Amino acid sequence: MNILDIIQQSAGKTLNDYLMTAKASGQRIMGYFCAYVPEEIIHAAGYVPYRMRAVQSSGTTLGDTWFSSINCTFVRHVFDKVLRHDFDFLDGIIFSNGCDHLRRVYDNWRYAGVQTPFLHMFITPHVINDNANRQYLHECLNLKEVLEKHSGITISDQALKNSVRLYNRKRSLLNELYELRKAKAIPIKGSEFLSLMLTVTAVPVENAIEILEQVLIEIKGRDTTRPGDVRIFMAAGHMEEIDHLELLEGCGAAIAGDNLCMGLRHFDGQADETGDALAALADRYLNHMSCPRMINDFQRRLDHVKQTFKDYAIDAVILEKMKFCDLWGGEAFIWRNELKKTDIPILVLERELYGGSTGQIRTRLQAFFEQVRNRQVHDDFVQAAGKIYRLK
Amino acid sequence: MLKPLEHLKIINNRLLLIKLIGHFPRLTWLAMQLARPLYVDHETFLNRTLRYGMMTLGAGKLPPEEVKAYVTGFNAMRENFKRAMQAQKDGVPLVWVQWILSSEIVAAFGARSLNAELLNVFGNVVGWEAPSKLIAEAEAIGVPVEYCSALKTSIGAYVLGQTPEPDLIVRASQPCDTSISSYQIMEYLTGAPAFTFDAPYWKDEPSFDYYEKVMWDFVAFMEHHLGRKIDWDKLREIINNVNDFNFYLHEVTEMMRATPCPCSMITLLMQWVMREITIGDPAITASAKEVYDVVKARYEKGEGIVKKEKIRVIWWNPPFAFFTYIFKWMEHQFGAVVVNDFIGQCQMPQIDTSSNESMIRDLAKSHLYLAMGRQCHGPVEYITDELKRALEAFNADCIIFAGHNGCQHGWAIGRIFKDICKKAKLPVLILNADIMDQRHMPEKEIMREITEFFRSTGLA
Repeated sequence: MNILDIIQQSAGKTLNDYLMTAKASGQRIMGYFCAYVPEEIIHAAGYVPYRMRAVQSSGTTLGDTWFSSINCTFVRHVFDKVLRHDFDFLDGIIFSNGCDHLRRVYDNWRYAGVQTPFLHMFITPHVINDNANRQYLHECLNLKEVLEKHSGITISDQALKNSVRLYNRKRSLLNELYELRKAKAIPIKGSEFLSLMLTVTAVPVENAIEILEQVLIEIKGRDTTRPGDVRIFMAAGHMEEIDHLELLEGCGAAIAGDNLCMGLRHFDGQADETGDALAALADRYLNHMSCPRMINDFQRRLDHVKQTFKDYAIDAVILEKMKFCDLWGGEAFIWRNELKKTDIPILVLERELYGGSTGQIRTRLQAFFEQVRNRQVHDDFVQAAGKIYRLK
Repeated sequence: MLKPLEHLKIINNRLLLIKLIGHFPRLTWLAMQLARPLYVDHETFLNRTLRYGMMTLGAGKLPPEEVKAYVTGFNAMRENFKRAMQAQKDGVPLVWVQWILSSEIVAAFGARSLNAELLNVFGNVVGWEAPSKLIAEAEAIGVPVEYCSALKTSIGAYVLGQTPEPDLIVRASQPCDTSISSYQIMEYLTGAPAFTFDAPYWKDEPSFDYYEKVMWDFVAFMEHHLGRKIDWDKLREIINNVNDFNFYLHEVTEMMRATPCPCSMITLLMQWVMREITIGDPAITASAKEVYDVVKARYEKGEGIVKKEKIRVIWWNPPFAFFTYIFKWMEHQFGAVVVNDFIGQCQMPQIDTSSNESMIRDLAKSHLYLAMGRQCHGPVEYITDELKRALEAFNADCIIFAGHNGCQHGWAIGRIFKDICKKAKLPVLILNADIMDQRHMPEKEIMREITEFFRSTGLA
């Protein structure tokens, strides 16, 4: 089995083989919910950080007894799995105030009497500025302290620095992979990249680094694109449905750039390894490419998509929001208006996590791609980082 | 096609009318009593722009002395709207202050403030369908339909030219995602520089420290954009008014524990609306004092707002903006008095005015106790503890939960809420409505459900 097959297999499981091995060897596993939770502190405390997901969910029947029909399907699926004991292997959970749906998981988790040894709410400010940076640092210190208290250990500066170094390595490998998508011949499909993300956010970081190094070797010289593919920038909140991206690709998409939870936002920016580790983490986590929960940063997100459009020779943008996600709904409004001004085609899709509707989505995609193709001239000589050649 | 600021102008005209008739509160009360058949049942072409105001003033069921207190506050609100509309002409900066915040600092800079959500409530003055049309407009231009309708109304109002252009925007990261998201849209649409009050999650000292720094940052933001310094003496004067205002309403809130309950919840809610529009204005403090005096007199005499109090209700979640008369209707029809609620009850801490630093610290702290923010910026206990305290202290017979369509985090804790009510062994009515948009559940349907609830539970 090659590495891409392995990651595809791992991505589809709640508890993958790497994690099982880690657990068997006595390593503890800590679930966490959001790209704003600093994995390094969890790692330095001796846990394997595990990004929460709803893969292998059998539905939302139990989750719906705690959440309402106007809550997003991600939390309903996850909570369903919680109540079905799918996450009993976790030694703790770090919640987040990422959004309204997510912050109420913390509340329902406690009231539902789920027996998890450690629960902690990690608070990320909703703005990016100096004051928020100090507040985030305070949260990091607090997380370090509660983990130390719970585990009965002391997280040394050296341990923290070591974690920062490892996670920086992981991020730099992911960045390297991401940047390969600039090329005309994209060596890794969007769906494969998502599988990879699902895997490397649910295995020990040391394994993640090995996997990424192998993937970089494996995909060398590969071209996953087909003639006529539309180069897509994907933006969304939580996304974990590999088959959904395969559907996009099946309709002619080549995903070349993104702003996803399980994408760029996870690995954008590095933590400074020279100074105080916690301060470096605060700096990195608060300032990485933001999601729309950050109120005062929509201009940077717009600039990013526009810049990526140029740098990655993007043809069109697909922004996906999960039903009842206000944050991405508002972002879609701004992007739709702003990208129209700069003549960047955008399709806004709404979906439920594992919600099906493939026929409907396929039709919308086909129509959109046709529209995009009609706007452009396919040219074999389009440079990877180059311009889009349009009909005058 | 709406003319620019048409809604606001109509509202101001009606408030002017209230000002004029307010000189004769007893006569006004009598006229509203006699004319009830002409407007209470439903809106018509003839009563369209008068009905909401009369219903809010109790439709002849609110004692004249309370009507007088309302009029005092309404005059202050009218002044605020007028000054906001004229701000550009007068060359005075206009600052939009999001409804979940408070405008003391803005006033201390000599700038004018406008609550951009004002048409959620006052839009109904123009006619029942006016807020719905604003919501529909927002949805038509691509604002997410699942947003809380309160914010959709504000966006709709702005794009239809019903809100004066802001020079600056002050927004908050609470109480919900719609708030976070919609004010990014506001900033994008208006192009006005925006300041964010990033609310901490907890109510503890480190969180207050953070919020205090946010307040200082806000002062710096205002200084930067207005090119002037804050007037500390003016701020102190404003805060003294705020402290008095809060004191009176806090006392009224406490007096509502009494049986019979001496005050109607709509009175506290209207005071909250006045706070939202123009806190610190001596006129609304005077209005609060008038309310306090009236309620205290009743309390001391052992009188209730209704002659025979039969049902004591806790109203959870915000009230229906389009149906302010619901409280008087329940009192009139069933002897049912809402004794405690989510919004009207006042829990504001006093602000220490002994130094500039103490004012900023306490002002920041107090912002975390404003209705809705107080309950919604943190864990579920900020909601449930308050409910439990109300259940213990207000001797209630039942709970009415005004479920609001766009409130995703509110519905996410529905199970926890129901479990608490179950433990309290009180009947609960859960209304599946929208507090701003009566297309989801109109007045008649609300009345029908409440009637059925009271009857089926044996309360009426």
